[in-house]
Amino acid sequence: MKSGVLKLLAVVIGINVFFAYIGWFFLPQSESRPPKTTKIEKGITRDELVTAGEGIVFGKGQCMTCHPMKPETGMRAPAISTIGADMVKSAKGCDTPPETFVFESLVNPGKYVEKGFDNMMPPVNKPPTSLSEGELIAVAAFLQSKGSNVTVSYPESVALLKAAIEKAEKQGGGK
Amino acid sequence: MAEAGVRKGLTKGLIKLTLILGIGFGLLFILGKALPAPTGDGYRVFPFIGSRDWIWIIAQLHLNFAAFVLGVPIFAVSMEFIGWRKSDGRLDRIAYDFTKLFTLAYTITAVIGSIFMVSLPILYPKFIDHMMKILGPTWWVYVAVMYVEVIVCYYYFYSWKKMSGTKGRHVAIGGLLNVMGVMMLLITSSWVGYMTTPAGVSDSGELISRWHAIKTYMWLPLSLHRLVANVVFGAGIAMAYAAFRFITSETDEDRAYYDWMGYTSAMISIGFSLILPGIGYLLGVEIYEYNEQMGIQLMGGFFAWLWVMQAILIGAILMCINYYLWISLAKMPGGERYYKYVKYLFIVMLLGYAVWLTPHSIALSLEEARKMGAYHPLLGNLGVMASKNTAVVITYLVTFMSFSIFKMSNKESVVSWAATGRALRIVIIAASTVSVLAIGVYSYMVSSHVRVRVLSPIQFGIFFLTIVALFILDKMMYKNARLIGEPRWGKMPERSQYALIGITVTFTWLMGMMGYMRAGARQYWHVYGIIKNTSADNYLPTHGVTAVIVSVLTVIFFLLIGLLFWTIMKLEKAYEKKGAQS
Repeated sequence: MKSGVLKLLAVVIGINVFFAYIGWFFLPQSESRPPKTTKIEKGITRDELVTAGEGIVFGKGQCMTCHPMKPETGMRAPAISTIGADMVKSAKGCDTPPETFVFESLVNPGKYVEKGFDNMMPPVNKPPTSLSEGELIAVAAFLQSKGSNVTVSYPESVALLKAAIEKAEKQGGGK
Repeated sequence: MAEAGVRKGLTKGLIKLTLILGIGFGLLFILGKALPAPTGDGYRVFPFIGSRDWIWIIAQLHLNFAAFVLGVPIFAVSMEFIGWRKSDGRLDRIAYDFTKLFTLAYTITAVIGSIFMVSLPILYPKFIDHMMKILGPTWWVYVAVMYVEVIVCYYYFYSWKKMSGTKGRHVAIGGLLNVMGVMMLLITSSWVGYMTTPAGVSDSGELISRWHAIKTYMWLPLSLHRLVANVVFGAGIAMAYAAFRFITSETDEDRAYYDWMGYTSAMISIGFSLILPGIGYLLGVEIYEYNEQMGIQLMGGFFAWLWVMQAILIGAILMCINYYLWISLAKMPGGERYYKYVKYLFIVMLLGYAVWLTPHSIALSLEEARKMGAYHPLLGNLGVMASKNTAVVITYLVTFMSFSIFKMSNKESVVSWAATGRALRIVIIAASTVSVLAIGVYSYMVSSHVRVRVLSPIQFGIFFLTIVALFILDKMMYKNARLIGEPRWGKMPERSQYALIGITVTFTWLMGMMGYMRAGARQYWHVYGIIKNTSADNYLPTHGVTAVIVSVLTVIFFLLIGLLFWTIMKLEKAYEKKGAQS
C-alpha cells in the first residue's frame, strides 16, 4: 500500500511539474500592465499627434482587438488602413463635418455603424477604456491619417470634441 | 461511519460550522483592529507572496472543494435513486461511498472558506466595502443557506442506514441537499458576475438596482457552467478515490468494486463534460454581448496562449479517457474484435488535437503588428474558432465512439436487421462528420455574427443529435443481445488507474487556469469599469508565473484530498475493528 501511495504522489507532482514546465518554457512570457495615459501637450504638431494616436490605438485604446489593420474576410470591425477615407465618404453621406464624424464615432459609436458590421463598439471616453480629451483627439488624428487629411488638432478641436460628448450623453451615450 | 445517531451527527455538524465561522469572524475583528490601517487607496499587503497570490491560492482551493461538495451530491443522489428503483445494492453502496466523501469534505471546505472570508476584507477593505454595499444582503442569505445545507447534508449522511426502509424519503432529502447546493452556487456566481459584467450601478458605483446587480450578463450562464463543471469535477474526484483504493486494495473483491466505481465515475465525469463546451460557449456569447472588447481580449488577446494551454489540457483528458477505454477492452470478453479500430480513432484524435492547439493571435508588439496586421498570416487562418470548434466536435465524437465500442464489445446483436443497423451506424457517423467539417469550412466565409450565433451551435447540435441517434440505435440493436461474457471487473492493469488519476489532476489544473482567466478578463479592475485596482498587483503575470501558481495550488489540493481519502480509510478500519469486537 505504501508504495502505491508514493507512486500516486509522484504521478500527481509529476503532472503538475510538467504543466508548470510547459507554461514556463513553452508559452510566450509577458505581463499585461495597465496602460499608461499619453500626455498630449499644447502646441503638439499634427504629425506628433498622429504618432501618439497610433500608440494609443495599439495600446490603451485596445482598438486592434476588433479592428484589423488590413481588410480581411469575416472581420469584426472596419479595417484601419483605409478608415480615414471611409469616414470622409460616410460623413459626406450623412452631411456631417468629418471632424464631428470622427469624434462621434469614438464617443457615440452606435450612431454611425458601417453597413455589414454590428453595433458592438463601446464609447472609448468611458470606462473601461477612459481615453482623455487629448488622447481622443490623437486617436482621431491617426484615424484621419489613414486615407484622408488630418483636420483635427490639439487643443483647437477640444470644443468640437466636448460638443460631441455632450450630444452623446443626451442621446444615451452611444451603445 | 454513519452509525453514530442522527441527532448526534447533526449536532456535531452544526457545532463544527458555528465554531469555524465564529473563529473566522473573531479573527476578522481582531486582525482588523490589530493590523496597521490600510493604505490610502484601500489595501494591505500579505507578507512574502503578496495579497493577490495569497487570495488566488485560497480562493481557488475553496472553489475546488466547493465544486466537489456541490457536484458529488448530484450524482450520489442520482445513484441512490437508480439503485433504489432497480434494487441494485452496488449502486446504493457507491452512492453511500460518495456521500462519505462529500460529508467529510465539508469541514475542509468550511475551513478554507473561513480563511478566505477573513483574508479578503483584511487585504482589500475598500473593494469589499463596495461589494457589501451593492450585494451585502446576498452574503447573509448565503450564510443562512449554508447552515440549512449543513443540516440537510449531515441528516442525509447519518440517516442512511436508519432510513434504508424509507428510501423514497431519503432520496427526497438528497434532492433538498442539491437544491441548497444550487442556491449557494447561484449566490456566489452573482458576486463573480457582478465583478466581471457589472449592472445595476451608476458609473461612479452607486447602487441603482440590487436585482440588476445580481442578474448580470454572466450570472446564469456562469452558474450553469459551474453546475455542470462541478458534476464533472466531483465525479473526477470520486474517480481518483476509486483509483486510489484500487491501487491500494489487497483483495480481488475490493479491486473489482473499485474498478467498477472508477469506470462509473469516469463515465459520469466525461459524459457531463460533453455538454461543457456548449455551455462554455453560451457563457462566452454572454461576455461578448456585454462587452465585445472583453470577449475578444479573453479569447484572442493576452490570453490567446492560455487557450492553447487549455487545448493541451482538454486534449490530454480526452486522450487519457480514450486510452482508459481502449485498455478496458481487455477486460471485456470479445473486446479483442475491436482492437483494429483503435489506431484509426487514435489518428483522428491526434489530428483534432493538432488543430485545437493552433493559436490564433499572439501577444504582439507594435512593430510586429505593423508588419503583419492583427494576426499571423498562417495561424490567423488555422487557429480560428471555425476550425477549433470543428476539431473539438470531431474529437468528442471519437470519444463517444470509444465508449460505444467498449459498451458493445462483450455483446453480439441477435436482431434480424443487425447488418443494416451496422451500416446505418456507419452512415450516421460519416454524415455527421462530413456535415461538421463542411460547416467548419463554410464558417470562414460568413460574418462572426453568423458564425457565433448560427453555425457553431449547429455543429454542437449535430454532435448531440449523433450521440442520441447512436444511443437509440445501439439500444435497439443490442436488445436481448447474446452476452459473450461478463466484464472481468478488477482485471485491469495498474496503469489504467493512473490514467484516471491523470484525468482528475489535469481537470483540477484546468479549473485553476480557467478560474484565473475568468478573473483576469477584468484586467486592472476589481469591478470592471467601476472599481479600479490600484494595488501593486494590478497586472496580469506572465503565463509562466500563472502555470507555477496553478501547479502549486493543485498539489496542495491533492495533498488535502489525499488526507481526506486516508481519513476515510482510517474510519472504515476503525469501524470494521469495532464491528469485529462486538
